Amino acid sequence: MAARRNNPSGIVPTIQNIVSTVDLDCVLDLNHIAQHSRNSEYFPKRFSAVIMRIKDPKTTALIFASGKMVCTGAKTEAQSKLAARKFERIIQKLGFPAKFRDFRIQNIVASCDVQFTIRLEKFACTSHGAFSTYEPELFPGLIYRMKQPKLVLLIFVSGNVVIAGAKKRDDFYTAFDNIYPVLAEFKK
Amino acid sequence: MADTYCPDCKRPTEVVFDHSAGDTVCSECGLVLEAHSIDETSEWRTFANESTDNDPVRVGGPSNPLLADGGLSTVISKPTGASGDFLTTSLGRWQNRGSNPDRSLIQAFKTIATMSDRLGLVATIKDRANEIYKKVEDQKPLRGRNQDAILAACLYIACRQEDKPRTVKVANGATKKEIGRAKEYIVKQLEVELGQSMEMGTIHAGDFLRRFCSHLGMNNQAVKAAQEAVQKSEELDIRRSPISIAAAIIYIITQLSEDKKLLKDISLSTGVAEGTIRNSYKDLYPYAARIIPSWYAKEDDLKNLCSP
Repeated sequence: MAARRNNPSGIVPTIQNIVSTVDLDCVLDLNHIAQHSRNSEYFPKRFSAVIMRIKDPKTTALIFASGKMVCTGAKTEAQSKLAARKFERIIQKLGFPAKFRDFRIQNIVASCDVQFTIRLEKFACTSHGAFSTYEPELFPGLIYRMKQPKLVLLIFVSGNVVIAGAKKRDDFYTAFDNIYPVLAEFKK
Repeated sequence: MADTYCPDCKRPTEVVFDHSAGDTVCSECGLVLEAHSIDETSEWRTFANESTDNDPVRVGGPSNPLLADGGLSTVISKPTGASGDFLTTSLGRWQNRGSNPDRSLIQAFKTIATMSDRLGLVATIKDRANEIYKKVEDQKPLRGRNQDAILAACLYIACRQEDKPRTVKVANGATKKEIGRAKEYIVKQLEVELGQSMEMGTIHAGDFLRRFCSHLGMNNQAVKAAQEAVQKSEELDIRRSPISIAAAIIYIITQLSEDKKLLKDISLSTGVAEGTIRNSYKDLYPYAARIIPSWYAKEDDLKNLCSP
């Protein structure tokens, strides 16, 4: 991933969290996994999956009995894949024929700071109002649902912007490129 | 007296309406244009203190287009006097127990009416809320949320649409979060149906200010000062909910006047927690000189304001 020079401001959103899923392709015995590994918790009454954590990369995995696994907490795509592989290794060591099928990144959350305060009420009133939801009583940030690429941005008065729902890094770069000039219009 | 076309005279002539016979008569040639017109005004005058025993009114209430059949229905009533007959007394009960497609709708309308009564809302808003509820009633995803939240959200949206927003806290049992979620869902539904014509502006502190002030019984001077202060505070960069800002401004204004209101009173009438008002006060305090109008309080009074 080459460094992206997206817009004249030079601000690049930083990834905070990546959620990915992978199919281990074998039925798992969650009780066995929970008993024989030291960094996992399993409360079937609360949630029907084993929650396992590893220290490096610092990630958490939800492992289901069907063999599907959700891996969260990584900060880059490569780390997410590496973590998923580590989890798969642990399952293999516990005696299950785990494979690594269909690794897919489901959601990337990124944030950035545009360095100026934004007038959210004005924003919601304009032509972008169709995509925005601003309810100061309920949530202090404006929720902007962008159609192309399809993701959600949370825009705050302080100028912090959170972008969620991207499946690829390029998606949220594009999204930020799209939104930056609009935000600059409503600078306080 | 009206001007209509008379077929005999072949030109528009003055037409007289004779109330006693119900005839529309042409004044030039005497031709009766319409006979037996039905008088649609009310037959009897009704008074509030009259007993309901001898009520000669033969019509029911206004027809409600939201209900399935306009609210028309026939009810079997008990015959006056003799009531030993098992059949006659039970018939009424059995007919009522039969399935009524509108039962849940009527129940919901009643609840909305109670809530809007409590808030003192006009019939317009109540009807709007009824319409909204009808549009979203009985959708599958809605079944999960509790009924109160949905009704409260309908009322909230109706108020917003009429530009008379109420705080979300105002409704009862359901929590703010529930009502918020129900409201989001309903708004999405409405947008899908109407094709995106939902225009609900963002709320401003000024909308609520008038109401809060009158709840607290502030005098006119104070109310005007508060309104000006709120206008000025919109320029500032305060990151708090507009309601909290309104509450804090009321607190400042009342502290400056002789008639000081307790934090508790303000918290009760605005629905904002005392701690939140204190925090908002801390945020506003540095700008107090700018937002409080000078005709209301002089510089020294502001110095007297307790520092948070």
